[in-house]
Amino acid sequence: MVERIEDLNLPNAVIGRLIKEALPESASVSKEARAAIARAASVFAIFVTSSSTALAHKQNHKTITAKDILQTLTELDFESFVPSLTQDLEVYRKVVKEKKESKASKKDSNTAENANASATATAEEAPE
Amino acid sequence: MGEPRSQPPVERPPTAETFLPLSRVRTIMKSSMDTGLITNEVLFLMTKCTELFVRHLAGAAYTEEFGQRPGEALKYEHLSQVVNKNKNLEFLLQIVPQKIRVHQFQEMLRLNRSAGSDDDDDDDDDDDEEESESESESDE
Repeated sequence: MVERIEDLNLPNAVIGRLIKEALPESASVSKEARAAIARAASVFAIFVTSSSTALAHKQNHKTITAKDILQTLTELDFESFVPSLTQDLEVYRKVVKEKKESKASKKDSNTAENANASATATAEEAPE
Repeated sequence: MGEPRSQPPVERPPTAETFLPLSRVRTIMKSSMDTGLITNEVLFLMTKCTELFVRHLAGAAYTEEFGQRPGEALKYEHLSQVVNKNKNLEFLLQIVPQKIRVHQFQEMLRLNRSAGSDDDDDDDDDDDEEESESESESDE
């Protein structure tokens, strides 16, 4: 559990940047409006998390899944979020998979290099 | 209530990168008592949808008041108005409440006490909205 309420605050600078992206050119945002949006975002995350958890429990699952979150968003009337989140998730999964594969192939190439090193050492010793 | 005026969503290329810090979003998710294990994938997705929500709320509040006119100022009251108008933002009614003037608040207090006393307060018309601002949290 959080010890301080400040731990639930999202960073002002990032919130400010996200807001700017959503508004027309040269629009400004009052400090109070930005603070309210930051609070709202934290509450939204808690709201979606607890709703997703309830949905998972209803299906006798202990852990919430991406599918639970997407379904919850639809049920909470944020279905317009689902398409772009689905695409982001596909990209994320691809990146995770690629990282795993590159780690595995690095291990393989290290093994191959070790074998080569041993062979070379053996070859060097042979003339003596 | 009807949804806010449909605004052509700005097409952003799908990406696995996030702006908000994952660790902070995890802390927020954990503050929901019954949350169990949070997988990295779920943390990523929650971070992304929180970012979408920030854009959505800001965009809806601005559009409701100004359409797509550039150069206007988004203020607190625009947010509280859009929260009041949209059913799916009901969960924010206590987070972004509509403000009232001090004298309206005093009037409400008086009405609540009307069963008892009948004191005649001096009602000066205070235009400073800051005084009735809801409690705000300080940042680290």
